[in-house]
Amino acid sequence: MTHQTHLFHMVNPSPWPIMGAMAAMMLTVGLVLWFHCNLNLILLLGLTSTLLIMFQWWRDIVRESTYLGHHTPPVQKGLRYGMILFITSEVFFFLGFFWAFYHSSLAPTPELGGQWPPTGITTLDPFEVPLLNTAVLLASGVTVTWAHHSLMEANRASAIHALILTIILGLYFTALQAMEYYEAPFTIADSSYGSTFFVATGFHGLHVIIGSTFLMTCLYRQTMHHFTSNHHFGFEAAAWYWHFVDVVWLFLYISIYWWGS
Amino acid sequence: MYYKFSSFTQNLTGAVAAAAYNPQGLKPLVSTELPSSIFGTPTKVASESPAAVSYWGKNKVPELQKLFQKSDGVLVHLKQGVPDKLLYRTTMALALGGSIYCLIALYMASQPKNRK
Repeated sequence: MTHQTHLFHMVNPSPWPIMGAMAAMMLTVGLVLWFHCNLNLILLLGLTSTLLIMFQWWRDIVRESTYLGHHTPPVQKGLRYGMILFITSEVFFFLGFFWAFYHSSLAPTPELGGQWPPTGITTLDPFEVPLLNTAVLLASGVTVTWAHHSLMEANRASAIHALILTIILGLYFTALQAMEYYEAPFTIADSSYGSTFFVATGFHGLHVIIGSTFLMTCLYRQTMHHFTSNHHFGFEAAAWYWHFVDVVWLFLYISIYWWGS
Repeated sequence: MYYKFSSFTQNLTGAVAAAAYNPQGLKPLVSTELPSSIFGTPTKVASESPAAVSYWGKNKVPELQKLFQKSDGVLVHLKQGVPDKLLYRTTMALALGGSIYCLIALYMASQPKNRK
């Protein structure tokens, strides 16, 4: 019987990486066929495969950690580095859209009427729903920290309650934003105002949905007794991601909603 | 004062007694019940304290740990048997089928005259 004499994780051979690559090809080719040939099927197949693969890959990681004990301290350290680096890459992703916004808004062209907001654009009042959204996300940052402390103190009920609250706040934000999108007096096609607004806030909204899904997974795992009071990195990663989403919103609110109005 | 090894700081940090007596990773799979007290009145065992009361379902992790640690040579993505196999085969079928369809669609799209 062979046992490893080191603390690192030699992963079982897995089909998910190669299948993930195939799914990515289906997504890209699917987009092209949707744009140019009005064909939806490959895109839908690609989206379905991607979801199935993500579910199974992360399910396997839970199995390897919670059920098989492979996430030793050095392994967890590597996962921490990985999550921090991933979030850093997302920061750069958003930096690009903020660059685009400031490029267009600091020196508005004559086509926009030489002003920002451009002529003819009625902006959203930053002190109405956007301010409520800010309060909602800030509150969710508090509740996720409460959940973390409850988890560390082995207070099961409190951790579950705080996580549920965080998720409700996240969903509330999404619902409010969806309503704002529907009611907005301008569209994505309304000059660079529309494009910078909807692309930046749209990607942010997508990240809120991703973060909420991550938190819902943590809630499920917490109810299934996966987390212990000193080993719950999945939850910490979700909390880091959620704080990142919150900070991006604060920058969006200050730049686009407030300064840009 | 009790201590535990903190996975965040990678060093010893202060801890409560519960963490010291039930360190993560060393909890026995079989529950260790204290022998009944000679005074007859049941004492409150640590495992019965409010923090361990089952909220939202009982703890199935120990049984799942036993299941997944069975040394039968099965890889982790197929370890649970039939449901795993079904999901894997469905996903593989979608991925392979979709990829082949992609290549065919790209071939057709690159032949403008044929599509007339």
